[in-house]
Amino acid sequence: MSEIQEVAAPRRRINFGFDKYSGIYVWALLVLVFALWIPDLFLQTSTLKQVLTFQAISAIVALGLLLPVAAGAFDLTIAGTLTVSVCFTAWALTNGHGIVVAAGGSILIGVIIGLANSLVVVKLKVDSFIGTLGMSSVLIAIAYMITDSSQIVLSTSGYAPFFEFARTEMFGLPRSVYYAALIALFFWWILEYTPGGRYLYAVGGNPVASRLAGVRVGRVTMIAFISSGVTSAFAGIVYLSTIGTATPDSGSGYLLPAFSAVFLGATQIRPGRVNVLGTLVAIFLLATGVTGLQLAGAPSYVTQLFNGAALIIAVALASRTARRQG
Amino acid sequence: MTSATSATSALSVRNATKIFGAQVALDNVSIDVAVGEVRALVGQNGCGKSTLIKILAGFHEPEPGIEVLIGGSELALGDPVASEAAGLRFVHQDLGLVGNLDTIDNLALGQGYITNVTKTINWRKERTKAREALAALGYEINVNMPVAALQMSERTAVAIARAMSERGTPPKMLILDEPTANLPGPEAQRLYQLVRRVADSGVAVLFVSHHFDEVFEMAESVTVLRDGKLIETRPVAGLTEDALIELVVGRKLEEHDKGEAVDREHGTEVLQLSGVGGRNVSGMDLTVHQGEVVGVAGITGSGREEVAALVFGGHERSGEILVEGKTLPQNRPDISIQRGVALVPAERHANASLLDQTLRENITLVDPGRHMSLGILRRNPEKSDVRVWLDRLSVKPSGKTEYKMNQLSGGNQQKVILARWLRQEPSVLVLDEPTQGVDVGAKADIHTLVDEAAAQGAAVLLCSTDHEELVRVCDRVVIMRRGRAAEILRGDKITVDNITAATIGRDSAEPAA
Repeated sequence: MSEIQEVAAPRRRINFGFDKYSGIYVWALLVLVFALWIPDLFLQTSTLKQVLTFQAISAIVALGLLLPVAAGAFDLTIAGTLTVSVCFTAWALTNGHGIVVAAGGSILIGVIIGLANSLVVVKLKVDSFIGTLGMSSVLIAIAYMITDSSQIVLSTSGYAPFFEFARTEMFGLPRSVYYAALIALFFWWILEYTPGGRYLYAVGGNPVASRLAGVRVGRVTMIAFISSGVTSAFAGIVYLSTIGTATPDSGSGYLLPAFSAVFLGATQIRPGRVNVLGTLVAIFLLATGVTGLQLAGAPSYVTQLFNGAALIIAVALASRTARRQG
Repeated sequence: MTSATSATSALSVRNATKIFGAQVALDNVSIDVAVGEVRALVGQNGCGKSTLIKILAGFHEPEPGIEVLIGGSELALGDPVASEAAGLRFVHQDLGLVGNLDTIDNLALGQGYITNVTKTINWRKERTKAREALAALGYEINVNMPVAALQMSERTAVAIARAMSERGTPPKMLILDEPTANLPGPEAQRLYQLVRRVADSGVAVLFVSHHFDEVFEMAESVTVLRDGKLIETRPVAGLTEDALIELVVGRKLEEHDKGEAVDREHGTEVLQLSGVGGRNVSGMDLTVHQGEVVGVAGITGSGREEVAALVFGGHERSGEILVEGKTLPQNRPDISIQRGVALVPAERHANASLLDQTLRENITLVDPGRHMSLGILRRNPEKSDVRVWLDRLSVKPSGKTEYKMNQLSGGNQQKVILARWLRQEPSVLVLDEPTQGVDVGAKADIHTLVDEAAAQGAAVLLCSTDHEELVRVCDRVVIMRRGRAAEILRGDKITVDNITAATIGRDSAEPAA
């Protein structure tokens, strides 16, 4: 133990919660700005509904990413898994299989991708960033194989029961929003209130110490990958049911927003660790900004601009917090 | 305002105070170090010595009223650049070297390379410069070898050479943090000479230390801090170790009474090793009985450092280990824990701590599910459970279950790790260097806890390079030499001198049973 690094008592300063809840303040500020700027367009219930609906899929994907990141592993296959799931489900439905086979098969594919990722990362000891980067390219190839390099369109009339899965509205919101909420609740419970959550954060914090405290580090990592695989596959089913068209690049827009949300979320609510509530705050903060700008007439590329900048700012903020604590 | 003494002082600090929140970390401390003097700064963890050093380094802004003079001129506080420019140089315990770079590169870090007209690096000149810098400290090493491949004392020398380089102003004062903490005896000796050379070149040396042997070998004078206050500065000559301990702790340490020698060696066998081998260890047989504390001693490379991991199942191994008659599989710490084995590993930062997580999470990591009901971890029962353990081990500050691990001092972190395992009520407690970097008071506490664990029936295996510690707590001491359990010391044969002699292979004790 280095004496010079020894840390004295924590500083006390007046706390308005800017540390933990800065995202909520920024979000409120955004709402205020747009409310004053474009009141007729922005202050509509339809805007709220639009934000919630559009973000349901992003939220599910980002929530799935939480477990691997908590355990200190990157999972870059989330978008690829979503794409394969979308394409497989569409292929199965258009080839006369029932909804259960199509959806069940997709979930199974999610499990297999999770297992493959853990094989690469845990057994072959490939760095998770590189390993899942390679895997995601393989998945895109598989998506092209399934769709034969074109798109599969599900006609609204022919697949009505499947479209009900995500589109049916309850209390004015489509089911997809409730799925996202349920998944959030589930992961919140896992991370905050179960031994599994402790193990995930422990492995992410110090894998060597975790192993010597009896944590099965390999198994924890594997479960995290399987969970993100299944969650992304589920997001794929919701996507197809919402959009109705499968292409080999269906998932391309979901990778970066998920990482932005998770890392921006790690600066919120429980600073220093990725968490469910922070991730949700981040998703809606980003969505509000993007939607407001688009309503105000900004070009569609503001989405990419916003998400990319948010990821960098989030990580910069996180390392600043870490420095202050260190 | 310059006092009479500071005219000749390399460092003169007047009235240093630092308050964190409600806690006074440093209370009106004044200290003078003369040119060419070697001064030790000692005290228990949390006594304020790191705060003082950090004020000098410019990391902490002290309270007003302080005055710091370096070689007679006033130092601008709260600015690391000003501290460096004034001639203060720091070497941290971790040395801050880049292991895969060689000595030349490490010396050039932060000060740049000598270049030719074409702006390419002039390696020939760099090499000469690096050799000269180390030769000035009495070291001759291969400056092209990655520093990770050097001996520990050589690495320390590289770090000191880097600190002592010009960088604009010549160094006036070298400040070291536990310079010989990780060094085996002969290497420590080399370092003592090095520090002497530095002091003789007219630079004052101040070093923070927990190791009294380095204080007595190296320092001319010693400053003792306790609870943020200056207790005394004294010349080392004429000071006894007991007197110094009393100054540091503020009370006489209780003499440990070994009591009547109880024959525990024929009690119930709890831990049995037969033919255990690993990377450095081979054919090790050992039995530890209920309530018995068995020490493992040995120099670096003797296999001593591997024994704990082999027993716990952290390494690949051959041979068989039984705990209460049941086989322990290798490489499965989780099963070892289920069978009642606990391991407090060496190097707690790397091997035991979750530094940015709470004390609560660190302590309950082994079985977080203990306070689960209806599928939910109940935080309040968990907190009170943890608080009991923090109190029992007198972790300071007390009762702060939600403090992050990195907010505690080293000794207290070690107690938290110990709490993690004692809470499991293990039948086998394996400790590897449990008091590394821990102050005298916390060390005594930890030894008492080991006694208690044994008294409650645990079989304890204690691997340590601290021979006094082995004498203090062990019923038997196994001496490792060249990967084998070469000797066993028992009863009144267990003395520091006997252990030291046995580890380096002098046959002064009875052969292994």
